[in-house]
Amino acid sequence: MSAVEIVSPVTGTVWKIERAVGDKVEAGDVIMVLESMKMEIPVESDAAGVIASFNVEVGNSVDEDQPLCVVES
Amino acid sequence: MSNSQDDERFSELTYRRQAALQMGGTAAIERQHQAGRLTVRERIGQLVDGSSFREVGTLAGTGVYDKDNHLVSVTPAPYVAGLAKIDGRPVAVGGEDFTVRGGTTFGSARRKGGQGGFIEDFAHHYRIPLVNLIDGAGGSVTSLKRRGHSVFPGVHGFERSVELLGEVPVVSAVLGTAAGGPAGRAILSHFSVMVRDTSQVFAAGPPVVKRSLGQTIDKNDLGGAKVAVDQAGTIHNSAESEEEAFEQIRKFLSFMPSNVWEHPPITESTDPVDRRDERLATIVPEKRTQAYNMNRLVRMVCDEGSCFEIQPTYGKSVITMLARLGGRPVGIIANNPMVYGGAMDVHSARKQIHFMELCDTFHIPLVFFVDVPGFMVGLKAEQEGTLREGMRAVCVAGKLKVPTITLVIRKCYGMAGMATCNKNDIDMKLAWPSAEWGSLPVEGGVAAAFRKDIMAAPDPAAREREIEAELKPYASPYRTAEAFAVEEIIDPRETRPVLCEFIALAEKRLRADVGLKARYGVQP
Repeated sequence: MSAVEIVSPVTGTVWKIERAVGDKVEAGDVIMVLESMKMEIPVESDAAGVIASFNVEVGNSVDEDQPLCVVES
Repeated sequence: MSNSQDDERFSELTYRRQAALQMGGTAAIERQHQAGRLTVRERIGQLVDGSSFREVGTLAGTGVYDKDNHLVSVTPAPYVAGLAKIDGRPVAVGGEDFTVRGGTTFGSARRKGGQGGFIEDFAHHYRIPLVNLIDGAGGSVTSLKRRGHSVFPGVHGFERSVELLGEVPVVSAVLGTAAGGPAGRAILSHFSVMVRDTSQVFAAGPPVVKRSLGQTIDKNDLGGAKVAVDQAGTIHNSAESEEEAFEQIRKFLSFMPSNVWEHPPITESTDPVDRRDERLATIVPEKRTQAYNMNRLVRMVCDEGSCFEIQPTYGKSVITMLARLGGRPVGIIANNPMVYGGAMDVHSARKQIHFMELCDTFHIPLVFFVDVPGFMVGLKAEQEGTLREGMRAVCVAGKLKVPTITLVIRKCYGMAGMATCNKNDIDMKLAWPSAEWGSLPVEGGVAAAFRKDIMAAPDPAAREREIEAELKPYASPYRTAEAFAVEEIIDPRETRPVLCEFIALAEKRLRADVGLKARYGVQP
């Protein structure tokens, strides 16, 4: 079992969190949507597994490469 | 290798060759390995085909003689170079031998490597690619005493390095700590790669920085991949290991001709040129503010597995990659809507300029996948000089001689939009139904042009929306197509067959245009 950290692709704001802790995800599933430069940026899971924890909440500002959540596979 | 009869007959030759293979000795080799680095001979062995390395200058070095003038020992030169094959094609390859005096201070007046060294002349003379395996710190004050004088900078200069950039592919791997000359040489290349964590690139290292600025900084913080690749774009790509760096070098060279007088090599494609990917019909969201994965879109169109991204971690609002369409090398420049909405900033402009010049020089047709809202705006963008760098991109795009195809996926606005096409030639512009273009988007434009009208209205917001709704139909790409101001609007699923056909057609044009490309005029 390994923990995969999903990091932010851009500097922006957390707009919508689509999944919850405990949800099963496949690689490519959208976990949350960020807003940056008036665009909605989907953040996808890099791995198949279960969402273990979130590092951010809706409304938080995030930087590029900042950890957003952890998926355990 | 040779049998004992030959060893006896040419014993001095054998002895000297063995000494060369010892490099700086067992202890020095062990230290190199402990630092997580390979020796130069190991690197060459891993990079090139089989045992294709044919060394030149094996016996260069410093001999020690006794009072009767008999050879006591010989230390090889701190550089190993020669001819080799990569994927069956000849290349010149050389690298510093860090186990001999840290790869510095050539014993002889005539140098095998470094700037102005033999291996650069060799690549130029035979018109073959040059691979630099860089692992040396450059000039050292220790030469001062040995030489008896200080050398005017550029006596061993970059003239040949610069000349090569217009003639043959030059690739550099930074495999140690590079400062000064070696760092300069790494940058005077078409593609450069460094190893994350074990290599660094900077103008000068921590001791000089401490002396000049009183600043204390660790060498990896100053010039590791995070700074040199991700933040500054000084080096194009990073690799997790030396082996991966060699893989990237081979991959890069596989798209390049041996020199500018040849075409890029065409390979057999197992991916059918008439493949229509259904996902292309829905990959662009209906909602204009929703971003999508342009990297994935491009990979759906190109030959399966053929894509090689250059500078993936720098200037991320644009994606530059070498790929194949129907087995033929192409250069893809694709705006990334996930980063700054695809807007061009100073870094993506710089990245795009280098890539356009690379493909133009080596006769690799360019395909633009366009989704750019314009230049990046705001104070930081202005302070960084986005406008000037962006206009430089427009300028370089306008001078391209290689066939280009512009495919508008979604937005194509303003001057950044101009940097995606070349109107000097046939100016082939294709578009998807989701495309929209203009000097600026209707939304921003209405607020500016109809300000008085809007402010005078009882409900300004409603009035603004009213004018937008009135103008929007005129912005339809189909109207532009009626006027033949865009060449064709295509079903997204047709993208691959259409591009493959036009890229195959470009072959005749490429044949007519081989040779050196003139560069003239002043870039803004």
